[in-house]
Amino acid sequence: MVKDYLKWFWKVIRKPNQHQALKKYMLFRELNPFELSLVSACLHNREYRAGEVLFEEGHPLEVLFFIVSGELQVTGKLNPQGSAVLKKHQFIGVKDLFGDNKRSGSATALTDLSVLALTESDFQDLISKNKRLGNKLLKACCEFLASYLQDMGSGY
Amino acid sequence: MNWTKIVFIVIILAMIVLGIIFYRPVFSYLIASLVFAYILDPLVTSLEYRGVPRWVSVLMVYAVIAGLLALFTTRMVPMLINQGNNLMALFQYSDKPVSEQVLALPFVRSVFEFLQNIDKQVPSLGFTAKFVHLIETGNQLLGELPKLLVDNYQTILSMISFVITVPVFSFFMLKDKQALRKGMLSLVPNRFFELAVILQDKIDETVGRFLRAILLEVIAVSIMTSVALTIAGVPYAVLVGITAGVANIIPYIGPWLGAALAVLTVLITGKPLSMMIYAALAMYLVQVLDNNFVYPVVVGKTIKMHPLIVLVTVLAGGWFGGIIWMLVSVPLVYIVYSLVRELYINLKQFRLI
Repeated sequence: MVKDYLKWFWKVIRKPNQHQALKKYMLFRELNPFELSLVSACLHNREYRAGEVLFEEGHPLEVLFFIVSGELQVTGKLNPQGSAVLKKHQFIGVKDLFGDNKRSGSATALTDLSVLALTESDFQDLISKNKRLGNKLLKACCEFLASYLQDMGSGY
Repeated sequence: MNWTKIVFIVIILAMIVLGIIFYRPVFSYLIASLVFAYILDPLVTSLEYRGVPRWVSVLMVYAVIAGLLALFTTRMVPMLINQGNNLMALFQYSDKPVSEQVLALPFVRSVFEFLQNIDKQVPSLGFTAKFVHLIETGNQLLGELPKLLVDNYQTILSMISFVITVPVFSFFMLKDKQALRKGMLSLVPNRFFELAVILQDKIDETVGRFLRAILLEVIAVSIMTSVALTIAGVPYAVLVGITAGVANIIPYIGPWLGAALAVLTVLITGKPLSMMIYAALAMYLVQVLDNNFVYPVVVGKTIKMHPLIVLVTVLAGGWFGGIIWMLVSVPLVYIVYSLVRELYINLKQFRLI
């Protein structure tokens, strides 16, 4: 009986981590619950229909997209095969983020698509206003770009 | 476009119009709250990023501001009221004729005596009579100044409810900043999403930075002017300093208004004429410090507007809504101009025009 009450009490006071799902994205893998809550506060839910264009080559880069469900096709010079299909828990925008802030390719929804959008200014704020969070995000970006370079066959 | 879409748009537009009519009385409250929220946002965000929940951050910042206001009220307000009353008493009519009061001032006295000498030599010129008439007319105009000040102070007093409501509105704007931003962006179609993000960021950056810069500059110039005028021995230094600080918001014209006020104060209080030069020098020194140290640091870049446009804007603001609009018209026009320019550049980049 007492055990049940304790269980119930623990359930009430223990806050479930609502942002745990974000850890599925490589960029947020190392973040703690507080840092995830900061990131989550900046994310915008967007829905795209199959065939709808997310952005086109040459557009200014203002948003990173994190795929929640569905698939999108990316075309452009940064893809070794000319085009790539991105799925759940993948993201797009980081490769162009550290360039001249212009989209190097285009992205179109292949199926109905649900994404989380993180604006570039919010991303910069997350990096600059909390050093620990900033370090983790930048490290994750470096890891992502390193793996991309390896995939391209220029592992240096 | 099918008819359901048209009906939907018409309903939305009708709701917006009805909303504007219904909420119109509180628009001024909302705008003031927004300004307040913009000014405090960096402090709140900085605390939030250190692990303090956002609503606690807002309350902490409010507590600090309340403390500072209490300190200012107990230390400065009695002095300001005293200085204001003394200054206004100078304009009050007494049983003596106006011209006699004004002629008692040393500077005016010397000019009057000089003109009397001329009249003695060439009586037909009648310079002294014309001079007295000029003083009477000038005094009539100045006599309306205290009324204007009193009217404004009454307005300020009647804003007590305003002052209580604004922090409450601002509290929710600050606490739910991200939710409000998200709510607004969720209404934007996918095609314009990134453009809307850019504009929202630009508004945040321009308006926020501008308002904070103006506030910091007003405080800095007020303090510097008060100190400089106190050292120069000018009476009512704090009152003149704060007024000059506020006037400084208007580029090009504001500093001259401040300097004119300081010189005029010396003139009407009957202080030695040499003090006018000290007052002018003190104001010049403040401007040098402001232009070379304060402005580049707090504002970052100057308002790139031609002096003629500034003058026209200030005059138009004055015609439109009096002193308050004279102060806000230049920053407002500059912000709108920056946003329109940003919109145009981005519409081009997104190939929407």
